Order: sequence, then structure tokens, then C-alpha cells
Amino acid sequence: MKLLTKIIFFLYREYKLNLSGVQDILTNIIFFFVSIFIFIFSIGPDKETISLIGVGILWTLLLLSSTLSLRKFYQDDFENGNLLIIHLNGFSYGFIAILKTLSHFIFVQIPFLLSIPIACILLNISNEKLIYVFISFTIGSLILSCLGSISSSMNLMNQRNYLLGSVIVMIFSVPIIIFSVGIINLEENFNSLTNILFGILLIVFAINPWASGLCLKLSLENS
Amino acid sequence: MIIVKDLSVNRLDKKIFEKVNLALTSGNITILKGKNGSGKTTLLKAILNIIEPSFGSIYWKGKLLKKNLYDFYNHVTYISDKNSSLTKLTVKDNINIWKRFFCSNINNSQIEIALKTLKLENYLNQKVGTLSLGETKKLEFLRLIIENKKVWILDEPLSNLDESSIELMKQTFEDHVAKEGSIIFSSHQNPGIYVTEEINL
Repeated sequence: MKLLTKIIFFLYREYKLNLSGVQDILTNIIFFFVSIFIFIFSIGPDKETISLIGVGILWTLLLLSSTLSLRKFYQDDFENGNLLIIHLNGFSYGFIAILKTLSHFIFVQIPFLLSIPIACILLNISNEKLIYVFISFTIGSLILSCLGSISSSMNLMNQRNYLLGSVIVMIFSVPIIIFSVGIINLEENFNSLTNILFGILLIVFAINPWASGLCLKLSLENS
Repeated sequence: MIIVKDLSVNRLDKKIFEKVNLALTSGNITILKGKNGSGKTTLLKAILNIIEPSFGSIYWKGKLLKKNLYDFYNHVTYISDKNSSLTKLTVKDNINIWKRFFCSNINNSQIEIALKTLKLENYLNQKVGTLSLGETKKLEFLRLIIENKKVWILDEPLSNLDESSIELMKQTFEDHVAKEGSIIFSSHQNPGIYVTEEINL
């Protein structure tokens, strides 16, 4: 019961922090939409072309936009000593990683999920495909949050090059993009591709607490 | 309660300190003194099992600390030299979050008394980022009251405090040890706080 209360108030703390920094989330979403407009202007008004490559553009921009927030994943809590305090309150490093990943998904990725219908209209993606976009992005964004957790925790030990974390996430996101775009464009293979994407999610979900937890431990040890 | 036996810490082949021994029992205050870089924070972190010691062992309630870690964490409050309050939130929000996150059994009237004593009652709706260094430090001490644990481990608790606040800290320390609590704190000098053990690093 006590642990459950602690988890609820950890997420409440994350909610308050994200609410106070709501401009960061809005900036990410604005970046996402402005980038869509840039793509549309650079491709031209041909609806067919936009529709054909729309899903690819959507996923690429979602990936780029969500990597923008990665720097904040652990950095603030690490610098002000809160990671240590949370650990001393009985949370193992791995469990902190799981909770931070969950909070990243809820407070950073879900706003993107909610803005997808508007993006689909802009990119001329048909209503029938919208459900596939939702499913692929829900699974894919959870994978991105797990990868983000790993790369951000690794970055705590590397104070000089913040972009390295984003590069790592982008490299490991290639298979996610391949299968996610496949889910939307190859409807006949929906089940098999969703299963593969779900399998990737389970793998990174299992690795995340172990890898991020170790990086958090090492960075606190060396701080 | 805490026994540190022959503790040594090396980092990157550099010796930070070696063969430190200390025993902290109920009602005791231990001060760690030393120059900058002498390893005061490192020793506190080693006691908290954040840093792996190169040699020696730490015991909590007679058992090896590592085998009894989460019981130790249930009894200890650590205040670092950093400001752990969330600067984007108000003082009131920080207090509410701490109170619930630490499952504190302290009621609101006790917190109000503590706020008055620390002279922070007028800043409740102010964002922590707008407080002065001394006020932020005093807000950190409020966590000691909210967490309400037996062992206090404090890193440089007296820095950035004015004389009246240091007096207040002395009184708080005395009250805590009178209630069978125990304290380890690091400081460059002791401004007259009664200590039972002094360790020079």
C-alpha cells in the first residue's frame, strides 16, 4: 500500500513538473507541426505524393520531436539531487527508470498521440489508416520512451555531448520505423508486423530498467 | 546503529581517504571535518551505499548494510549540498509532494509550526526558484521534519546560513538527539554544536 502511494505521488510529482514546464511540451508539438508544413511546402501541392510519403514523414517527425525532450529525461533530477532522494525513498534504480519511462510516455508522447488526427489531415492520410497510425505509434512511442531512458541515463555520464543520446535513439529507431510504417502501408501484414513491433517493445522494456538503472547508479557514484 | 569499520575509498586510483572508523548510536552527533576535496561527501555517500568502498565495511543494526539496505533507507534522511526542491514549483507544492511521496505522518499544524520557526510562512505561494540561497537551504531542512526519520545525514548543512539560522539548526539538532535521533554532518568548522564524535579527514 505504501509503495503504491509512493508510485502515485511520484507520478503526481512528474505531472506537476510537466505542467509547470508545459511550454516545453507545446514547443515540441509546434516543432512537429511546423516541420510538417515545411515538408508540405517543399514537396508541393500534389496530394498523391504527400499521401504516398505522408506516413513516413509523420513517423520521422514524431521521432525527431520526441528526441527533443530527451535531454530533460533524467538531467534535472540528477543535477538537483532528486534522483538520489528518490532512490533513498526505497526505489531501486531500475524501478526509477521504469517510472520515468512511464511518465515520459504519459506526459510527452501522449500529447503527440492526441495531435495525430490533425497531422493525418495535413498529410492527406486517409481515415481508414488512422487506426493503424494510432496502433503503430502507441507501441512505437513506448519503444522510443524506453530507448530515450537508456540513452539519457547514458548521457548523464557524458556531460560534454548531449546530442549523442539523440543519435543513439535515432539509430535504434530504424527497425521501429520500418515496422511501424509497414503496419500502416501494408494492411494485409498488419498482424505479423504488429507482433514484431510488440516483440521489440518487450525486448526494450526488459532491457531498459537493467541498462538505465546501471547507468543511473554509475552516474550517481561518479557525481 | 551505524558502524563504519576501516573504510577506504579510492577513485581512479587516487586515494580519497583510508581506514575511517566511526560508530553512530542513538542520541549521538558526529561531525566530519576537513578541507575541500578531503572526502567528506564521498564518505557520506559511501555510508549511504551510493559509492562502493574500496575496503572496509558498514553495518546497520548489526548487519552488513548491503544486506539491510532498504531498512536503513527507511530510517535515514539525506540532505545534500544541492538544492533538491523543485524550483519551478511553489514552496507549498514542494511540501505537499514531499509529504505524500515520503508517506509522512506529520500533520499540517506541525508543518505550519516548522514553517514559522524557519520563517518561511510568507513564501508558501512563491516559486522556490525565486527564494534566496539561505531560504532554499531552510526549505531543505523542512524535509527533515516531514520525513521524520531517526538518522540524519547532512552534507554541509550550515553553508549559506546566517547566524540566527545556524542557532536554529543547533536547537533542531539538540531536539532531534533528545528524541533518540542521530546525526552525521559534514562541515569545514563547527560553530559550537555539541558533537559526540569528531572525524578529521
